[in-house]
Amino acid sequence: MRRIPGIRRVFRHERGSDVDVELQFHIDARTDDLVRLGLGRDEARRAALAEFGDVKRYETETLRIDRGYARITRIKELLWSVWFDFAYAVRGLRRSPGFAAAAVLTLALGIGANTAVWTILDALMRQSLPIERPDELHAVRRADQPDEDYLNSFQRFQRLQAVMPDPQQLTAMSALARMYATTGDQPEPALAQLVTGNWFRTLRVGASAGRVIELDDDRVLDAGAVAVLSDAFWSRRFGRDPRIVGTTIRLNGIPLRVIGVAQRGFQGLTVGSSVDLWVPLSMQHSLRYIGNYSAHDADIEKAWAPQDGIQWLILLARVPATSAVRIAGALDRQVRSDLEQQLATADSVDRAYRLREHVTLQPIPRGVSPLREQFKDPLRVLMASVGLVLLIACGNLAGLLLARSSARSHEVAVRISLGARRGRLVRQVLTESLTIAVLGGALGLIVARWGSAMLLRVASSGSRPVPLDVSNDARIIGFALLVSVVTGLLVGAFPAVRVSRFGLYDAFRGAGRVMGGRSSHRLPLGRVLVMSQIALSLVLVVTAGVFVRTLRNLLVIDPGYEREHVVVARLDVRAAGYDSAQLPALYDRLLGAAAAIPGVRSASLSLNAVAGGGTRTSGFVVPGRTLPPGESSSAQENYVTPDYFNTIGMTVVAGRAFTRADKVGAPNVAIVSESMARHFFGTDRVVGSRFGYGTPPEFEVVGVVRDARVNALREAAPRLVFRPLAQGPREYVTSVEVRVAGAREPVTASLRNAIRQVDPMLPLRDITPLSDLLERGLTSERLVARLAGSFGVLALLLAAIGLYGVMGYSVSRRTNEMGVRLALGASPAGVRLLVLRESLLTSAAGVVLGLVLLLPVQGVTGRLVYGVSPRDPATVVLGTTLLLAATAVAAFVPAWRASRIDPVDAIRSA
Amino acid sequence: MGTLDLLQGTLDLLILKTLSWGAMHGYSVARLIRERSDGAFLIEEGALYPALHRLERQGWIESDWGLSENNRKAKFYQLTARGRAQLRAEVATWQRYTKAVAGVLEPA
Repeated sequence: MRRIPGIRRVFRHERGSDVDVELQFHIDARTDDLVRLGLGRDEARRAALAEFGDVKRYETETLRIDRGYARITRIKELLWSVWFDFAYAVRGLRRSPGFAAAAVLTLALGIGANTAVWTILDALMRQSLPIERPDELHAVRRADQPDEDYLNSFQRFQRLQAVMPDPQQLTAMSALARMYATTGDQPEPALAQLVTGNWFRTLRVGASAGRVIELDDDRVLDAGAVAVLSDAFWSRRFGRDPRIVGTTIRLNGIPLRVIGVAQRGFQGLTVGSSVDLWVPLSMQHSLRYIGNYSAHDADIEKAWAPQDGIQWLILLARVPATSAVRIAGALDRQVRSDLEQQLATADSVDRAYRLREHVTLQPIPRGVSPLREQFKDPLRVLMASVGLVLLIACGNLAGLLLARSSARSHEVAVRISLGARRGRLVRQVLTESLTIAVLGGALGLIVARWGSAMLLRVASSGSRPVPLDVSNDARIIGFALLVSVVTGLLVGAFPAVRVSRFGLYDAFRGAGRVMGGRSSHRLPLGRVLVMSQIALSLVLVVTAGVFVRTLRNLLVIDPGYEREHVVVARLDVRAAGYDSAQLPALYDRLLGAAAAIPGVRSASLSLNAVAGGGTRTSGFVVPGRTLPPGESSSAQENYVTPDYFNTIGMTVVAGRAFTRADKVGAPNVAIVSESMARHFFGTDRVVGSRFGYGTPPEFEVVGVVRDARVNALREAAPRLVFRPLAQGPREYVTSVEVRVAGAREPVTASLRNAIRQVDPMLPLRDITPLSDLLERGLTSERLVARLAGSFGVLALLLAAIGLYGVMGYSVSRRTNEMGVRLALGASPAGVRLLVLRESLLTSAAGVVLGLVLLLPVQGVTGRLVYGVSPRDPATVVLGTTLLLAATAVAAFVPAWRASRIDPVDAIRSA
Repeated sequence: MGTLDLLQGTLDLLILKTLSWGAMHGYSVARLIRERSDGAFLIEEGALYPALHRLERQGWIESDWGLSENNRKAKFYQLTARGRAQLRAEVATWQRYTKAVAGVLEPA
């Protein structure tokens, strides 16, 4: 193409050193002119060069201009061609709206599900606390062993404050406790936390209304009757009424003045729990706070702060990361000197054991979270599962795109022969898949929002919704975008590879002939795709099967007591403000009211409900027996009324249960569980023997009960010691149990009324059947089983659809071949069998691949399963059979269609 | 006349004007400018080439390879339509400029 008329065109032009040639021409031309004027060649050349100037310099400058412009041009061309590809892709999609809708929807679901799970996982694992410089926050913890809640006494807190560079860098908080706040007439549960006066200041958390707790509020025991509300509590209970500051609320019956609301978004340091109120530490005794604690030589009924023997505080320090090590060392030295003093009178074994204790500062920029520990692994497994589902869905989409690209092969052939570069075609294919993926991703964000809300609901064990902040939009959008791009590239890779290996000859020959080469008939790519889909599906189906069985195993476990016909009412007598003298009368009234309900066979009271969340552990000693070193000397302790074992359904295997005769004044007795007996008494006789907290032994064993899983279904039966409630006159029960003969609902309602009649202000946490309480402890297992199960089913469906698509397409392309076979005498059944055999071969190959993939997976899920091995052969066989059956069904329709081909038509249309 | 320093803008103007007389290669442009200005400009002819390439990038001239009078490969340039418009504009500016300067220098 000539741009400049009138000049003679150069045809073979090397793009080599354009500028060099151009400049050389100038110099040569000048040289020639000078020669013509009479100069010698050499002289002329020298003069020409002199007139020209520094050739190198001008060449470089010119090249720089050219290159700069070339870069801009390339970029502009690239952008323009990308835009063109995008517009082309959109046009293509609009021409096949059905395909576009299916593709975008599939990806929307897949990307959305992934984003939902990721959102929860991210919120749980990664998000920092919404406080200033969270990286400076450290918890004082044990260095020698993992101990999430290292508890200290208030005295130790003060001693440790003294060794800090700035005493206000160390602060203390209690464990969260359920208290009862009365705003109207009914006490309602509220999660409260006791904190030192400098807590808010050290954390640098401010108030959005009023003020936060300050040093002065915590100076004098029981004097700081103030409370700070959390923003969530203020919103939920008071509707963000600004007049709340200055009013009084009653917590556990004690009036507290509301001094402020904490800044928005701050819910305390425990991720997954939302604190409702903060109260000064000094109020512990008035509020009858009893959260996590451990006590030595102390009276828990008296104020805790002044007693060094009661450890109940978690210590936090705000120190820059660089000084953490140094300060930790100072703290450790102080703790050990404390220990040395305490253990001065202890024996050498005990000393050696206790002196292993070392403390360190552990950074907790993301707060403390038991929820995290509980859901960390299940969520990761879910993340992997949902990722596999997306991969399988991508496989289907890739298959669809492959089919589409085959249909357009004529167009591609024309374009190539007209000079289109393959790279360009590949890019166009990828643009199309990226467009679908990004559209799917955008839609997927909506799915994700709904999905993560649903996941949170499932994860909340029936009580309050888990307060995870799942609204950090930039990260979520970023993740969805990343997944969309990867998906788009992955899906587009298949048709892209097809395009880049495109054979013009095959394309222009038209539809495949009867005896064409193998590669032009099969879709090796398509088959490979389906094989991988089936493999992944097998992994998901088997894993889901294992998780479902885990849940079933846990649900049918015999816990050692009756779970269906027992209803438990959890209440908080301590919070109601009864003093110990009033307890026996209250207990009698409660028991009487409960037992009188029609439908109730027996009733009892206990200090801690079964699976109720609270436990008391104490150390015991059997005289004359010493435990081997390193063995624990503790057992779980519970105070119960005589009818307890009957009501709960625990079997007494030796001796007797408690009777009304076991009361104050009578000999102190205890009933132990089998494992407790084995652990403490070995093979000695148990019933009739004595044991106690120390020497001389306080109790005589009068009975032994069968082991029971009283804490959680998944937890092994703990060692149990039972004492008669009548012999623990200062114990505040938290549970009323009734054994029901018949329907549970009417009893539940009547029990509620009965308790209200005994005392309407008695804080009642809930009334639930025991089976429900147990199932609440299986939240993560339920979540995993339900979701993994759904994903497994989904994967199966997708893989089956994928196979159906590939086989159907293959049959339609081989109409010729089928027609010839039928014409030459093959029976329709024979053709059907042919197609079916091919499909089954593909699925079988996929299954084998899947079995190989299962091996590493099973190692990972080992921790989450119960009662069934991750490599459980029965589940594997079941999964394999299911998959093969599904694929056989999927292949049936194409097989049927193949057998119905009219041979004459088929050959004629070739 | 001593040698005069040339402003880049002025060189551009000269190149555009020269090319308005027809397509030619860089050497011809250099010769013409030298002749028409009586040798006052273009002490270093090499300076032409960065200018030519820049003008081409800006879209005022376009180039193509061709054969010179003695069959050597050379790059030829010609004005584009935009270039013509640019030339007209720059000539007008130049005339305004010289008129203004002359007005000040004129003996009062």
